[in-house]
Amino acid sequence: MLEVLDLTKTYGPPDQATPVLRGVSFKVEAGSFCAIVGPSGSGKSTLMNIIGLLDRPTSGVLRLDGLDVAFGDRGQEARFRGATIGFVFQSFNLLSRLSAWENVALPLVYAGVPARDREQSALAMLERVGLSHRAHARPAELSGGQRQRVALARALVRQPRLILADEPTGSLDSVTAGEVMALLRDLNQRLGVTVLMVTHDKDLAARCERRIEVLDGRVVAEAGVTA
Amino acid sequence: MTIPTSPSPRAALLTWTQSGAEALANLLAQRQRSALALLGILIGAASIVAMLTIGHMAQRETLKLFAHMGVDMLQIHANPVGPLPATMDRAAIEALPRTDPDVEAAAPLTIDRAKVAVGPASQDAGIIAVAPNLPNLVRLSLASGRLFASVDEGALVAVLGADTAAALSAPGAPAGPGSQIRIRGYVFTVIGVLRPVAFTAMDPADYNTAVLVPLGDSARIMATPEPSTALLRLRPGADATAVGERLVVRLANPTSAPQATSAQELIQSLNAQKAIHSRLLTAIGAISLLVGGIGVMNVMMMGVMERRREIGLRAALGATPRDIQAMFLIEAGILALMGGLAGLAFGLLAAFVAARASGWTFSLSAYVLPLGPGLAAVVGMVFGFYPALRASRLDPIVALRDE
Repeated sequence: MLEVLDLTKTYGPPDQATPVLRGVSFKVEAGSFCAIVGPSGSGKSTLMNIIGLLDRPTSGVLRLDGLDVAFGDRGQEARFRGATIGFVFQSFNLLSRLSAWENVALPLVYAGVPARDREQSALAMLERVGLSHRAHARPAELSGGQRQRVALARALVRQPRLILADEPTGSLDSVTAGEVMALLRDLNQRLGVTVLMVTHDKDLAARCERRIEVLDGRVVAEAGVTA
Repeated sequence: MTIPTSPSPRAALLTWTQSGAEALANLLAQRQRSALALLGILIGAASIVAMLTIGHMAQRETLKLFAHMGVDMLQIHANPVGPLPATMDRAAIEALPRTDPDVEAAAPLTIDRAKVAVGPASQDAGIIAVAPNLPNLVRLSLASGRLFASVDEGALVAVLGADTAAALSAPGAPAGPGSQIRIRGYVFTVIGVLRPVAFTAMDPADYNTAVLVPLGDSARIMATPEPSTALLRLRPGADATAVGERLVVRLANPTSAPQATSAQELIQSLNAQKAIHSRLLTAIGAISLLVGGIGVMNVMMMGVMERRREIGLRAALGATPRDIQAMFLIEAGILALMGGLAGLAFGLLAAFVAARASGWTFSLSAYVLPLGPGLAAVVGMVFGFYPALRASRLDPIVALRDE
């Protein structure tokens, strides 16, 4: 599903370049649930941004579904991102003026889905995350766990092959965090969507079938490699 | 890039229509700032709409001034140069249609004021001694009786203006054809009464309050037997100013310095006055639109800054830079369009008030309706372009990280 080959990323001018990624390579099988762990500053966020096509690597190859991603055109990157990848953020990033279902339907706008179909798909996805009764609530009227479930529904509504979750439980209490994790696991298993999750929570990482540990711009340990 | 599904034109359209509905919601969210930007656009659109509508009405009113006579009239009036009454040669005037290629018809006349009496009633009225062809030349029409014929030349007959006829009528004894009136000791027989006619800029006197008599009677009741004024109808395409200059020289004599006034010149000078007003309103409109446009730009820039996170999020959800740009452009356009529509209403109201104040008939030209709001929307889009571009160029990572 996802393959990263010798990915490097440096910031700053060429004469005093700061390397953030120093040749990262790994593979994630389709349908797996994979955690990327590492302390802050290890380069895991940059790695996630590159995999999410929000940032470009200095060198190296990103392969998604067997195809090399050619970075360059922001419009094409955006369309590809929208069709292939769903994002879940630590701070949910819901638009406060929109109701829950409208937030979920937002990615469909950029897919060119007609308005009526958007509402249907969004409601169906909210039902999947157990929130159909709050479809018309605004984010401010929802609890943290409910907001993250709305965000999950939004990430899934275009049926992406990959979910990139950046500290998805970082803003939640432990009980709610457990519920959201369980839901994420469940969706991963039932929909077969690959999940790549950044976390610094060792317990959470331990529960993932696959772990990639990043330190100082390098992969220092891998666990649960299946292939 | 390898895979992506490139969106169909239909998909693009859907994105745009979605953006339209969203744009409104986004603008409502920042109501106060939007209202300020609206105000500038509103004033701009209103002054442009008012200007165009007032200009349109003014033109109609100007043409109305020449309604019954038409705009191809030339009036030549003899101004005295010495103690003697200023006159021109009647024969020379009446010969003009044959001797000047630009003159179609010419009617000499003389104007005076006198007491007109019927029985015991009397009324001060303008006495206009006219050549028999004058009523036709200035397109006067009759309420009753007949106009002058060439046989009336020198006969004591009169045609009454509508107001004069009414003033000279007594209950049970209306002044009309067959009535006898006295002017300066002569008894005239009324042969006709005119219909009311608008007093226009080209009329040497108000026909409504006048008594018309044949020019041949001038020797008896007027100060001078020769005419003091000539009304000319020009052939189509004639340059009234040039003809006027030519005839002024031709009709000059030791007693008078003739002066020419043409309908064309009057219209031009009226238009020149109106052009000053129009230019003023245009300037106000343009400046207001500019200020409004800058307001739109300000609102949009603040919006882009405040909504960086949203922009980053939308990018993450698959919005292309073009989608982001379109979203902000549409917001700017809708903001300005709302200002433009409000401006249209206010502009029409202002024009209506102006029409009331000047006693004009309110009328509006259809092209103003889309033009005012359309112009405003264009201004909004133009000034919204830069903020929209800025938004589309935001780095999604930076934007998303923004707290």
